[in-house]
Amino acid sequence: MNPFNQLLPEGPQLQPGLCTLVDADIAYIHLISDIATGLAYFSIPAALLVFVLRRRDLAYPWVFGLFAMFIIACGATHLMHAWTLFSPDYVTEALIKLICAAVSVTTAIVLWPLLPRLLALPSPGALAREVEERRAAEARALASEARVTAFIDNLAEALFVIRINGADDFVVETVNPAFERLFGLRGADIAQRPVAEVIAPHLLAAAMPHWQQALETRRPVEYVMDAETMLGPRIWQTVLVPMTGADGTVESLLGSARDITLTRRLQADLLQSARLATVGTMCAGLAHETSQPLNAATLWLRNARAAAAELGPADPAARLGTALGVIDSQLRRAGDLVARIRALPGAESGAAQVFDAARCAAAAVRTAAGQYAPERIDVVLRSDVASLPVQGVPARLEQALLQLLSNARDAVQDRRLRDPDAAAEILVTLAEDGGEAVIEVRDNGTGVPDALRDVIFDPFFTTRDPGRGSGLGLPLAAAIARAMGGRIDVHNLPDGGAVFTMRLALAQPQDRIDQPETVPC
Amino acid sequence: MAAPRILVAEDEGLAAMALEDELLREGYAVTLAPDGLAALEAAAQEPPDLLLTDLRMPRLDGSALIRALRAARPDLPVVVMTGYAPAGGAAAFAADGEAPISLFAKPLDMDAVLAELRKLLNRP
Repeated sequence: MNPFNQLLPEGPQLQPGLCTLVDADIAYIHLISDIATGLAYFSIPAALLVFVLRRRDLAYPWVFGLFAMFIIACGATHLMHAWTLFSPDYVTEALIKLICAAVSVTTAIVLWPLLPRLLALPSPGALAREVEERRAAEARALASEARVTAFIDNLAEALFVIRINGADDFVVETVNPAFERLFGLRGADIAQRPVAEVIAPHLLAAAMPHWQQALETRRPVEYVMDAETMLGPRIWQTVLVPMTGADGTVESLLGSARDITLTRRLQADLLQSARLATVGTMCAGLAHETSQPLNAATLWLRNARAAAAELGPADPAARLGTALGVIDSQLRRAGDLVARIRALPGAESGAAQVFDAARCAAAAVRTAAGQYAPERIDVVLRSDVASLPVQGVPARLEQALLQLLSNARDAVQDRRLRDPDAAAEILVTLAEDGGEAVIEVRDNGTGVPDALRDVIFDPFFTTRDPGRGSGLGLPLAAAIARAMGGRIDVHNLPDGGAVFTMRLALAQPQDRIDQPETVPC
Repeated sequence: MAAPRILVAEDEGLAAMALEDELLREGYAVTLAPDGLAALEAAAQEPPDLLLTDLRMPRLDGSALIRALRAARPDLPVVVMTGYAPAGGAAAFAADGEAPISLFAKPLDMDAVLAELRKLLNRP
């Protein structure tokens, strides 16, 4: 006999599925709870499914599948339980329970070994911390990169990177603002373009041997360039570092160039000053000591001439007169030389005043143009300024400019000896630059050989034949410029010829007011 | 009227002799002094109408001589002969209110010097 039957109350037979429940209220609680739990168990896997579908990066997605199956199986047992209240389908219920048990046990078995691995996964908090750390690191990197960029952008040295694509295929990769300032080239205009297209041929020809050396030796190369750039003559010192790739070939050249034009000019000026101080002292002494015997001889010559004049017109007296005339002219010549040497150290004769260098230059150009016209040499004046107030002695400045013009004329005539059809032109330009009056005398002559550039301002240095040129012209011009708070530089033009640049301190405005502006040159 | 007296301070004996010759021929009275100190002594004995002086001399140089003589006689005309002109030219010797100083570089252009002497001494 079925032991459960003892529990059944006496009375009317209950519906088959509700046989175990005596109280209808309890039966309804069971029914509602099972249906509610079953539906809930069916909805949870749906939520899991949505989660898995949305989050494709889950570490163990199959675990969610397993959970879903487990929950669905459990839900199914609850719904089945509700069903059996009405219909005694116990075989099906048993099957569903079996499936539920299998899935539950499988899940339980699988879960434990998986637990350490799940625990090893970073928690959202840890992930958030890591994300935060990475963001901070990224911010630091960005700030550091910004610092490096700012550093490179504000670096005084010109930086450039040349990419080496092949033996003769060099491309400008990038340059910094200092590079743009040094060479007058815009980075945007030259980046990613072949060097031959963007760098002047004479610069490239001068630099290329150094680049090749860096490529061949794969070692840093240091060199100094002295050349005409877009912005005028510049001297710069470059360090070139070859950057090699993984295979050992040089992929790019990293160059840093420092503008040493001013430093070099200062050095040259110092050297020149030291040399001139010595030469100046020597000249002063020489002039003084030479003038004494010349003076005595000249005075006694007058004496002798006076005596000879009293001899009468006989032959010997005439010859004596001629001889004395020769001595006289030679003494005068020596006297003139002494006067020029005396003028060299720059001691001014005549009082300094404020005057217009532009008018002075115009006067000198007029004089020279008239003198050189028969030789078919054009002298042209071009001026960017209305006036150039400077302080000094007008006649001395004109003398200096005439000297530069005469020098230019000699240069174009030398060129003609080699190349008779060459156009002979001397261009004088006037400009104002950085508080200085700039007077340039530009010729298309033979240029100044590099080796002579430092000595052409030395007294008595000359490339002329004996008797032509005393070697005092340029030193005199330089001495006059110095006395006016300036200097003269020379450099060669890329296409031949030379430019002598005279820079003079502009007179201060207060000086200009004190002085009449109509001082004639 | 007595001939104007020119005091010549010049340490180069030969040049001084030639100058003396020229000046005497022009009708001036001449006193020669081989240096600045001798010139001061000569001026004390016989006051000159004009000083013709070199700059570089032993014992007392030309600049000091000019200052000493002009301290007593600011209107004394002075002609300087020099182998090396000072910076600023003749203006370097002159103080305000003094008579002008003429500067000639050696070797001297004697005609120019004689013309200047005539002008300074108001002679035809």
